[in-house]
Amino acid sequence: MKGLFVKSKPKTPPEVVCKTRTLLVSLINNAPEFRGNKREEKMAELNKLIRELKTILYGSSESEPVPEACKQLTSEFFKGDTLRLLIGCLPKLNLEARKDSTQVVANLQRQPVEAKLIAAIYLEENLDLLDTLRSGYEDTTMALHYGGMLRECIRHQSMAKYVLESEHLRKFFDYMQLPSFEIAADAMATFKELMTRHKSTVAAFLSKNCDWFFRDFNTKLLESNNYITRRQSVKLLADILLDRSNAAVMVNYVSSKENLKILMNLLRESSKSIQIDAFHVFKLFAANQNKPPDIVNILIANRAKLLRYFADFKTEKEDEQFEEDKAAVVKAIVQLELIVN
Amino acid sequence: MAHEQEKCSKKKIQYPLDSNSYKIIDEIGVGVSAIVYKAACVPMNSSVVAIKAIDLDQSRTDLDSIRRESKTMLLLSHPNILNAHCSFTVDCCLWVVMPFMSGGSLQSIISSSFPDGLSEPCIAVVLKETLNALSYLHKQGHLHRDIKAGNILIDSNGSIKLADFGVSASIYEPNTGQGGWASSSSSASRMMLTDMAGTPYWMAPEVIHSHTGYSLKADIWSFGITALELAHGRPPLSHLPPSKSLLMKITKRLQLSDYEKSNNQKDKKFSKAFKDMVGSCLDHDPSKRPSAEKLLKHSFFRNCKGSDFLVKNVLSGLPTVEDRFRETRIVHKNGSVDGEDEEDPESDSGTPIVKQRRISGWNFNEDGFELDPVFPTESREKQRESDNWDDNVVKQVRFGGETIIQDQKSDNSSDSNSGSPGAAGDDQAEIEAGNIEIIESESNVDGGGDFDRETVVGGLMTLRRSLDEQRQQVGDMIAMFGGEVTREDQLVQLVERLRMEFENERQKNFELEMELEFLKLQISGACTDN
Repeated sequence: MKGLFVKSKPKTPPEVVCKTRTLLVSLINNAPEFRGNKREEKMAELNKLIRELKTILYGSSESEPVPEACKQLTSEFFKGDTLRLLIGCLPKLNLEARKDSTQVVANLQRQPVEAKLIAAIYLEENLDLLDTLRSGYEDTTMALHYGGMLRECIRHQSMAKYVLESEHLRKFFDYMQLPSFEIAADAMATFKELMTRHKSTVAAFLSKNCDWFFRDFNTKLLESNNYITRRQSVKLLADILLDRSNAAVMVNYVSSKENLKILMNLLRESSKSIQIDAFHVFKLFAANQNKPPDIVNILIANRAKLLRYFADFKTEKEDEQFEEDKAAVVKAIVQLELIVN
Repeated sequence: MAHEQEKCSKKKIQYPLDSNSYKIIDEIGVGVSAIVYKAACVPMNSSVVAIKAIDLDQSRTDLDSIRRESKTMLLLSHPNILNAHCSFTVDCCLWVVMPFMSGGSLQSIISSSFPDGLSEPCIAVVLKETLNALSYLHKQGHLHRDIKAGNILIDSNGSIKLADFGVSASIYEPNTGQGGWASSSSSASRMMLTDMAGTPYWMAPEVIHSHTGYSLKADIWSFGITALELAHGRPPLSHLPPSKSLLMKITKRLQLSDYEKSNNQKDKKFSKAFKDMVGSCLDHDPSKRPSAEKLLKHSFFRNCKGSDFLVKNVLSGLPTVEDRFRETRIVHKNGSVDGEDEEDPESDSGTPIVKQRRISGWNFNEDGFELDPVFPTESREKQRESDNWDDNVVKQVRFGGETIIQDQKSDNSSDSNSGSPGAAGDDQAEIEAGNIEIIESESNVDGGGDFDRETVVGGLMTLRRSLDEQRQQVGDMIAMFGGEVTREDQLVQLVERLRMEFENERQKNFELEMELEFLKLQISGACTDN
């Protein structure tokens, strides 16, 4: 009877949220209704509700999402502690419900209510949730779901700042090298987002944490045994250093002999992609107007080898910018000798 | 639900993430930058798996797409979808460990043992299982974007799985679109994608004319083409190599297609239900094509047999996947063998063939159970109802990183063309030569497939004149440079030509200078002599 009644009168978006929340509370507390043979039925109901949330937010093949409905849903969702409950219950849900939840959480991050992103306001008061999501990388079954949610949350600048400055940031260096490709690549995607999206935050972070950060970056990522780690990290390094907002950090980086050695080793990799990206970092060392003496010495000691290397160094497709850069690097290296001699 | 949870727990079996745990048994497919192996997973009682080894340094696909593909494969869970057990890197290769489907792909089965197609009851089983997968995918908001027999795999027990998500896209995934997240709040009904992926024979018209965007219904079109492929042994027009000039395809097709002949001889009859089902998938208007879910309820699938039926009627007596693969290798000695067996590794590595297509659409001729090309026209007499083909102007269409399946079948010209890159280059040139308007030659839309000979011939004559004109213009350029020609390449070639001219001028200049120098010397010599 009850089922019929519910069907005949569609729930309003806030009602769907409330009902979901009630069930999540029961589930997380392992309430009687989620025990025994009733569990299955309740789980099915919960899955359906989460699917309903998703449909309201994304629309369906027949209908566009309605902004007013999305607004009501969002505001009800964050009024209660629904996000915390959902994140907590995620491991108990089945695969489909986990995927739906991830999409719901992703969508909620960008729902404006009265011109405010209330998701950000909520998260600021619940920063520990970001730690929960981040620690998902340590659990193979949850990594992709929590990782996906985390990546959506750090699109808010304050959240990115929190994760960057948290002591757990170092753990990303390990996550990126996990044996499972999907998880390692997902962690890399999140890390890249952290290091590139919010320029001022990143610049402030790097200027404070330059030393340990690049030491770990070098040893754990650039010198990793894993091809993908090396390839992605050298590309990320180029992205970071070539960003104008990180100019100060860049100058610092290219003044280090250790860094130069690592990049020169990367130039010798057999992989073309790594070589090219390594070049985009290497050129900064060469272009530096105020090279420290030990950098100059290394470059001179390897001058002949470097020039020979660059003579054969080409991109697959013709690339004018690359050729220009290469010419500039070669010129800088040739001129070095003139200055020193 | 219990069913789903059961699958969840089943999925948790963790396959080892290091290459030492696997013993390669045989090669079963090969593509441009990927190889598919049959292998044994040693710590798991040497259970057989398929491993797709993608060379990441060779692959043109960027790592982020590969990440998204493998994530998609990991997070899908449906009995008719081929999952990845796990994936990990081995040097610069990505190993994707998957269940081994001992029957291989339907495409390889057809080309080795059923050149004229499968029987209707068999087709029904295959299509129904595929539809189950498609319906699940679509409900998840995923497009497959490369539905074809080559991506439908069968196991020894007759179970069917849809494979290869190399080009699949998600309408929920914010990363797939460009632009900031604030603007990209995607909605399910707007879910339109505009980039192009897939394999040309199977591609829906709106995918080719991507300016309108396309959605889940593009998969339904490809599904319809796949139905024709299973019925006839190959997709429409595929008896000609995909890289060959489309004009050639058309003339051949309308006049002396061996494809039609063989079908007439066999006089293959298809049921009304089948024709109707396929016809509905091949509606030009995407919105009129039924959804996967609706298709499942079509009468064609009503008395569908089970997987045992496939075991008896398709799998028995079939050469093994390995043997079939070896066979194709022998046929295509010149490298570039299509990895059509376990997977189609080429689709995600993407053979970078850029080609152009000048068909504005297709007409499904239900009586002949064939698909006829529609050409853009200047003097269109019958405007189709609500048709959205605004293509009086023939468009250049780029297929970014598409797979061109080498024609595996009986067509000799394809054999000679598919192998060497040089030949492929020539074909590209031929295509380029035909940047022309084609006169619509079909006169009948909905009903029978009678062609008006006169219109056809007239159209072809105009076509030919136009072609000749174009060919002359582009011919010399192509003769000089060969290779695939896109708009970009054209510019490159223009630059190249100018450079050559410049080089010539410089040479002349140099010679003149030398002469001048020589004369100067003579003069000065004369002077000092004096």
